[in-house]
Amino acid sequence: MSDFDRWLLVPALIIPAALSAPAFAVQYMDVGQAQKVLFPSADKFDAKVVILTAEQKSAIEASSGVRVRLGEVKAWAVSQAGKPVGWFMLDEVYGKHEFITYSVAIGADGTVRGVEILDYRETHGSEVNNAKWRAQFVGKKAGDTLKLDEDIKNISGATLSCKHLTDGVKRLLATYTVALK
Amino acid sequence: MNARADFAASSSVECVRARPLLGTLVEIAATGADADSVQLAISDAFEVVAQVHDLMSYHADDSDISRINRDAYTQAVSVNAHTMCVLEMAQKLAAASGGLFDISVAPTLTKLGFLPKRANMPRISGQGNWRHIVLSAYQVRLTRQLRIDVSGIAKGYAVDCALAVLQNAGMTAGRVSAGGDLRVFGELAQTVHVRHPTNATQLLPIVALTQGAAATSAGYFTQRRYQGRWVTPLINPLTRTAAGVSRSVTVLAADCMTADALTKVVHANPATAIPLLQQFNARAIMLEADAATGACKVFDTSSVAMTNWHARLVA
Repeated sequence: MSDFDRWLLVPALIIPAALSAPAFAVQYMDVGQAQKVLFPSADKFDAKVVILTAEQKSAIEASSGVRVRLGEVKAWAVSQAGKPVGWFMLDEVYGKHEFITYSVAIGADGTVRGVEILDYRETHGSEVNNAKWRAQFVGKKAGDTLKLDEDIKNISGATLSCKHLTDGVKRLLATYTVALK
Repeated sequence: MNARADFAASSSVECVRARPLLGTLVEIAATGADADSVQLAISDAFEVVAQVHDLMSYHADDSDISRINRDAYTQAVSVNAHTMCVLEMAQKLAAASGGLFDISVAPTLTKLGFLPKRANMPRISGQGNWRHIVLSAYQVRLTRQLRIDVSGIAKGYAVDCALAVLQNAGMTAGRVSAGGDLRVFGELAQTVHVRHPTNATQLLPIVALTQGAAATSAGYFTQRRYQGRWVTPLINPLTRTAAGVSRSVTVLAADCMTADALTKVVHANPATAIPLLQQFNARAIMLEADAATGACKVFDTSSVAMTNWHARLVA
C-alpha cells in the first residue's frame, strides 16, 4: 500500500512551456442554420434592425440588471404560413478571455424557446477587450476560414463560466419586452 | 464514377452545437447519415442535459436538490430516477473513499463564496456528512440537517445521458463535453487537450481516446480570493479546506460520472487515490505547473498501477 504514492515522485512527462497550443476558436453554425434549428417549421424570417433610444436602454438595464453595451438590436420576426410565431435575436457577449456570438429564440408567448451558440473564441491576452479584434469576426459564416486552431476539438477541463451568456439572455428578454413586443 | 457513388453512399455528416447549460457551455457533436437526423439527435441530447440541469440545480427552488435541502430532514422526499442515480453513485464513492468524496460540502462552498446563500432554507447543524443521507426506493431522508450539492458529479452524469441519446439515435460517432467533462464514442481516436493549470487558455494535448470519458477539475476559472488567499471550489470533505490552484487533475474512466467524481477525490489526496482508482478501473493524470519555467509536470497513475486504459499520452 505504501507504494501507491510513488506515482507522484517522478513525472511521466514534462511539457515545456513552448509546446502548448495557441488560442481556441469554434464556429458552430451560421445565422441561417441557427434559425432553422431554433424554428424548424417557420417559413419566414423578417430582419428588423432596431436602434434603441436612451430611454429604452435604461428601461432594459433597469429590468434586466445588465448593462446595454450596443444600441443596435439584431432581430428577425419569425412567421409560419403568415402567422407570427416569435422572434429570433442575434447578439454577442464577451468576458476576460472569451467572445461568444449567440442567438436566442423567443416564442409568441414571450418566453425563451432556445439558445444556440454560433461562435466561441478564446484568447490568451487582452484582445477580447479590443473592438478591432472583435470586429474581424462580425459577419463571418460557418465555413469561412478563420484559422486559430482547427485541430483542437476536445478540451477536458473547466470551461469559462457562462455568466456573461446568461446575462446576455436576460438582457435580450428585456430588450424584447421594451422594443419588440 | 463508381468510386464517387460509393463515397456518396458511405458519406456521413458531422454537426457540432453548443448551448449554455449546467452553469457552463455544453458542446455536443455527432456523426450520422444525414444532417437532419444528426441535428435531431443533438437536440434530443440537449433535452436530457436540460432535464438533469433542472432536476439537480442547487439554485432553483423547485429542483430535487433544493427540495431535499429544504424538506428531507423532516420528511422523506421523492426524487426523479435521474437524481436517484446520481445520489446512489455519490454515496457509493463516499463509502469507497472514506468520505473524501462528499456531496454535503455545500456549506463550505457557500462560506467561500462559490455557492449563493439560500434564503428559506433550514439552518444546518454543521455536524453532518454523507453518512446522514439515507436513500431508499426513490426517496431521500436526511438524518441531520444538511445542505447537499451534486455539482461535482452531476455534470458527468448529464454527459453520460446525452451520449446514450446519441448512441440510441444510431449515430456512428459522438462527443459530449460539459465544461470539459467529456465522453466520446466512435471508431477514430480523438485527442483530448487539457488546460494549463496556471495559464488556462493554453491547451496541452494529453491523451487520445476512442471511447470513454475524461474529466478534469482545476481551479483556473473558478478560483477566488477568500481571506487573502486564492481558493478553488475543490473541497477536501474531511478537513473542509479547498485545494490549491497550481494543479489540475484529469481522470479517465469508462463513464463520465465516475471520472467527474473521482477528480475530486484525487484533488483531496493524490497520495491515497490509487486503490480507489483501481477499484473503479480509472486512471488519473495530474498536471502541476512550475512557476519558474512555465513548464508542466505530468504525473500519471498508470506508471505504477496499470488499468486497461490503453489511451496513450500524446504530448
